[in-house]
Amino acid sequence: MSREPMLSKKTSIAYKTEEKTVLRGYDLSELAEEGYSFCDALFVLFQSRIPTEAEEKMLRYEMGSFLEHSMSPSAASALAVTAGRPNLPTAVAAGVMTFGGVHGPGAAHGYMMNKYIERAHKEGKTLDEAAKILVDEYMDAGMPVMGMGQPQHSDGDPRAEPIHLKQEELGSNGAYHEFQRAVEKHFHARRKREGKSYVGVNVVGAGNAALSDLGFAPNAAWCIGSVSRAYSCATHAIFSMKKGRAWAASKSEPMVQMLDLSMIKYVGPDDREVPSQEERQEYAEAQKKSGEYKKWVI
Amino acid sequence: MDKKRVIGNLDNPGLPYEYDKREYGTVPLDSSRAPFQWVSEVAYKNAHRIVTRGYDTTELMEQGYGITDIMFINFQARIPTVAEDQMLNYILILSLEDGLSMPAAMSRMTARSKTFLTQACGASILAFGHAYGAYSAFGNMLLEALQKAESEGKGMQAAAQELVASKLGDPALGVSDLMLKDPAAKRVFARAEKLGVAGKYIAFTKEIVKAAQRESSRPVDLDLLGATGAAMMDLGFTPEATWAIIAVTRSFGAGAHYIEEVEREGHTRLGETLTPKELYDGPGDRPVPPLADRDKVAKPAKTRTPDEWKAAFEERKKLHGSGFAIVEEIHDPSKKTGIKTLGKKI
Repeated sequence: MSREPMLSKKTSIAYKTEEKTVLRGYDLSELAEEGYSFCDALFVLFQSRIPTEAEEKMLRYEMGSFLEHSMSPSAASALAVTAGRPNLPTAVAAGVMTFGGVHGPGAAHGYMMNKYIERAHKEGKTLDEAAKILVDEYMDAGMPVMGMGQPQHSDGDPRAEPIHLKQEELGSNGAYHEFQRAVEKHFHARRKREGKSYVGVNVVGAGNAALSDLGFAPNAAWCIGSVSRAYSCATHAIFSMKKGRAWAASKSEPMVQMLDLSMIKYVGPDDREVPSQEERQEYAEAQKKSGEYKKWVI
Repeated sequence: MDKKRVIGNLDNPGLPYEYDKREYGTVPLDSSRAPFQWVSEVAYKNAHRIVTRGYDTTELMEQGYGITDIMFINFQARIPTVAEDQMLNYILILSLEDGLSMPAAMSRMTARSKTFLTQACGASILAFGHAYGAYSAFGNMLLEALQKAESEGKGMQAAAQELVASKLGDPALGVSDLMLKDPAAKRVFARAEKLGVAGKYIAFTKEIVKAAQRESSRPVDLDLLGATGAAMMDLGFTPEATWAIIAVTRSFGAGAHYIEEVEREGHTRLGETLTPKELYDGPGDRPVPPLADRDKVAKPAKTRTPDEWKAAFEERKKLHGSGFAIVEEIHDPSKKTGIKTLGKKI
């Protein structure tokens, strides 16, 4: 049995010997024995430091808020994957992998905040002024302002404002919190001026500001958010695996299933005959020449 | 001219439809049954609330509960005791990092392609199988062994002895030579006992360790799989829940490995990686035969008799990468503890 790692390279994150596993210098077993929490360990992982009690509380609050979100792209993906009854980790991995540019875009929001706070620093502007520039630039360009709006929580994300308030209560509100609040203020003001409906802050806007003030880089914050969600994706997947129907298409269920044939709505090219090989060349050339196919290209 | 028969004998009169007259068009909506909905026992949300197992998630946070409490609520529909929550935190800390082991390697390899961090975190979860992080296999093994012992009126010691007789050396046994010098695994049991959360799974695993130490020709002891797996089950988590929770927990660590890989190594392009010939032990270099000579050099795979089949099979096993040397049992994982009642309940 070889205990050599599959990849041999320098790392400043952790090492493991026959005697112990050490994370950023701390023996993991000793950290657990001392009574530190899992959230404390995440500060050690990403920031190489023990957090203050208030910081640990804020992270607990943030991660707990984000863990479960019922039917969102992540849970729906996990459920769809379980239909084929693969090994459970496949469904959980699929849940995490749904996080991208729209669903929980934590890193993107973080990079956006950093970019405009950097501008404030370089151009001698206040956080409030930088936030207004951000809102104006995004809205002038017709781009959605990251951190604002949630398609299911149309009156505002119920998790978002409580996260802001918890940051303030725990005193962990710093530059990011102030900047995010200012973004929201200018965003609401401009939409109101333009006669547009109210769009509230979402959990990425509030949560990511909190994670940033806790010292997490954009990708570390994204990791914390999206991987927290994976726990609940696992719950949904296990529920489906243990109590749901494999394949999700059974006609003997009293409710139409997710993959029932009747759930398919087709809006593509009309039904057409397959040309024979003798007809193929002429057919293909005519099809290419007409260009009609181009409206279907994706 | 009659249309050429397209595929096999599909126009067999025994078929309940005429193959050549198959209908086009989608199936109309089924109004005879209830329309599709996402059915869940776990959680729901509306425009103003997110509710898991009956509890509003924001109110849980406002009351001071945290992520580990929510795991109990999500997976077990209950608020844990303080000691249970402390034990789960303990286990998650131990599960967070494992150096450059497979989840980290998979995360780092994914990172090299210039992916999103979330792809790398997902890839790391896929490292958990039935050997590495075999929590499902381990937990279901305990459940089945204890169930069998109970039905046969056997004690834990006898059940452990019987289990070890068939499973010694199995990567899912929870006992191995991996932690002979590392006290972390044994400390998990000690902490569970100190917190008063140790139960029958820890007790049974201890018996398995003793039996394995009697039977094994080399030193073995409790390993981290056995320690954390048994402790999680004493906290009330199913083998599947344990599997997922530990894999996801490691995924945070994998996220840090993704970041470090990008920071320190950058990205790798298609075609960039070379495989030195010293690493190759396949057939020697040989000329590609002219296409016109295909019939002279090609040998069909078809066999006609069991003896021919067996001889060919054994020959094919010698070729690494052909797949003939592997036999896997691929089951429906839901059969373990699945009860298919969901639709009937609606």
